[in-house]
Amino acid sequence: MAVGLAAHLDVPVAVVRIALVALVPVAGIGLVLYVFWWLTVPVGDPAAAATGARPSALQRLARRQTLLRPDGRRVALADLALGALLVLAAGVLVAMRLGAQVDSTWVLPALLVLVGLGLAWSQLDAVQRPTGDRRRISVLRLIGGVLLAAAGVLLLVGESVGRGVEPALMVQAGIGALAVLLGVGLVLAPWWVRLVRELGDERAARAREAERADIAAHLHDSVLQTLALIRARADEPAEVARMARAQERELREWLYDDRHEPGTSLVAALRAVVAEVEDSRSGPTGEPVAVDVVVVGDRVPDADAQALLQATREALVNAVVHGRPPVSLYLEAGPAITEVFVRDRGDGFDLDAVGPDRFGVRESIIGRVRRRGGTARVTSSPERGTEVHLCMPVGGSSPAPDAAPAPAPHPAGARVGDPDHPAAAGRTDLQEDA
Amino acid sequence: MSAVDVVLVDDHHMFRAGVKASLDDRVRVVGEAATVDEAVRVVHELAPPVVLLDVHLPGGDGGGGAEVVRRCVDVPGTRFLALSVSDAAEDVVAVIRVGARGYVTKAIDPAALSDAVLRVAGGDAVFSPRLAGFVLDAFGAAAGDVATGDDELDRLSAREREVMRLIARGYTYREVAAELFISIKTVETHVSAVLRKLQLSNRNELTRWAAARRLL
Repeated sequence: MAVGLAAHLDVPVAVVRIALVALVPVAGIGLVLYVFWWLTVPVGDPAAAATGARPSALQRLARRQTLLRPDGRRVALADLALGALLVLAAGVLVAMRLGAQVDSTWVLPALLVLVGLGLAWSQLDAVQRPTGDRRRISVLRLIGGVLLAAAGVLLLVGESVGRGVEPALMVQAGIGALAVLLGVGLVLAPWWVRLVRELGDERAARAREAERADIAAHLHDSVLQTLALIRARADEPAEVARMARAQERELREWLYDDRHEPGTSLVAALRAVVAEVEDSRSGPTGEPVAVDVVVVGDRVPDADAQALLQATREALVNAVVHGRPPVSLYLEAGPAITEVFVRDRGDGFDLDAVGPDRFGVRESIIGRVRRRGGTARVTSSPERGTEVHLCMPVGGSSPAPDAAPAPAPHPAGARVGDPDHPAAAGRTDLQEDA
Repeated sequence: MSAVDVVLVDDHHMFRAGVKASLDDRVRVVGEAATVDEAVRVVHELAPPVVLLDVHLPGGDGGGGAEVVRRCVDVPGTRFLALSVSDAAEDVVAVIRVGARGYVTKAIDPAALSDAVLRVAGGDAVFSPRLAGFVLDAFGAAAGDVATGDDELDRLSAREREVMRLIARGYTYREVAAELFISIKTVETHVSAVLRKLQLSNRNELTRWAAARRLL
């Protein structure tokens, strides 16, 4: 309780505790306040909960409120109460031994009532805690508490009425009390049901509202602004197409992608690379080029994967700047190798005609992948465009993909690389399987 | 060859107009619909050879394009080609599972769309690169899960996997055929076989996607 109050008032816990202890002698106010707040102050840090519930443009839906783990001291509280009760009982017993005239006939019933009340009320505390099968336990607590308290009250009543309590009268009184409770319950039931339903409705409405606010925030932040920009620059088709494409990409990512933690998804990293190339590079005539991305599988990127991504980026830039759309990108993350294909429909080029010092392909694509133990192959022909095939073994252990335990060696690629094959005639192949 | 009749189902008027304008003269749009109920009525009335169907549609029981396909199974000779902007696997798989003959994205270029319509009219399946990617993913082909026999429904054969990979890389059927030294007809046979597996297989991933759209 003190922790919760301290968090709420934003003062140190110790101050709250001292204040409470200081208040105890003043007509027991400290004790009363403690019990009252113990029952009513919610568990957890309200500020943290509020932060967690705040919608953010990066999140698809508002996160659920996260409750703090129950504080160890709070768990001990119930035990403390039990201990205090036992000490009280022990004290009474000792006093009786010492000859004090304790009227034991009302002490036991009073204790029973106290324990029962304690049990029943303690679930108010328990309900707020995110524990496993709390429903079952709280029901058990309630039943136990009611039984104990009822027994205690009956005994007390019997005590005050007179020595001999007749069982028949007891039963009669019990039945009467039950009937009254039942009647009151029946009368109050509709009101109670309505209350519960309204609570549920309100919760659902609030969840919907949070979601709507989330989407509105996102649309405002990105889509509306892009549309405004597009309208302002409507006479520049290339720029409009580029903005529309960037917006489409962002919206798709927001709608369909699983949100990955940064640095855990090769696919997410690849998409970032594609976005960068699409935004910053244009085709030969200055028009923006969209890259058609298809991915199969995913993995956590390592240093090798970073090299692969860099090489992929270079290949994409080449395809966009020198090739012709559509540009296709295919990534397959298998158990043993990661493969990337970048393809454009340009006129192709003759790799041998390009000097080794002048062309970025040799160093930035092929060299980069080869140094990491992967392979790179460029296939180019006037009719079919250019395709760059990058292959990186997982963990960098096996040097060549065909030697790796790949499920099915890539027959098409192998054939393309075969200089004796008639299909390879008229094409320029550069194969650097080192 | 006379033009193929097509019914266009999409809830966006602008998109329907765009598609109509972009289809070449090998394809003729004979009807349009904007909702599930309207689509079911029009398809029953006209019984077109091909229906171009958006995956997300209002109306009906909220089942979208998949519901249209299900409610039109009694129309003989009508084939469905799904058309969507969605990237979500469950949307694609749902509409294929109920019987659509293919799936293309709305970003497809006009000539390719006309080709796809003709191909579906001829009884073949149409796979976009993205659908091929889904298939490879769903059948665990990237992890080397390859069938050994012909009658296996839950895995792709090595050849089917190869065809799917080439399609995912952006190859047309003609280019796939040239690459693998097989005829276009053989490529179409492989793709149809994959489509059949996609519809009949009980692989976890597929049934999970279907269940997500309450198709089971």
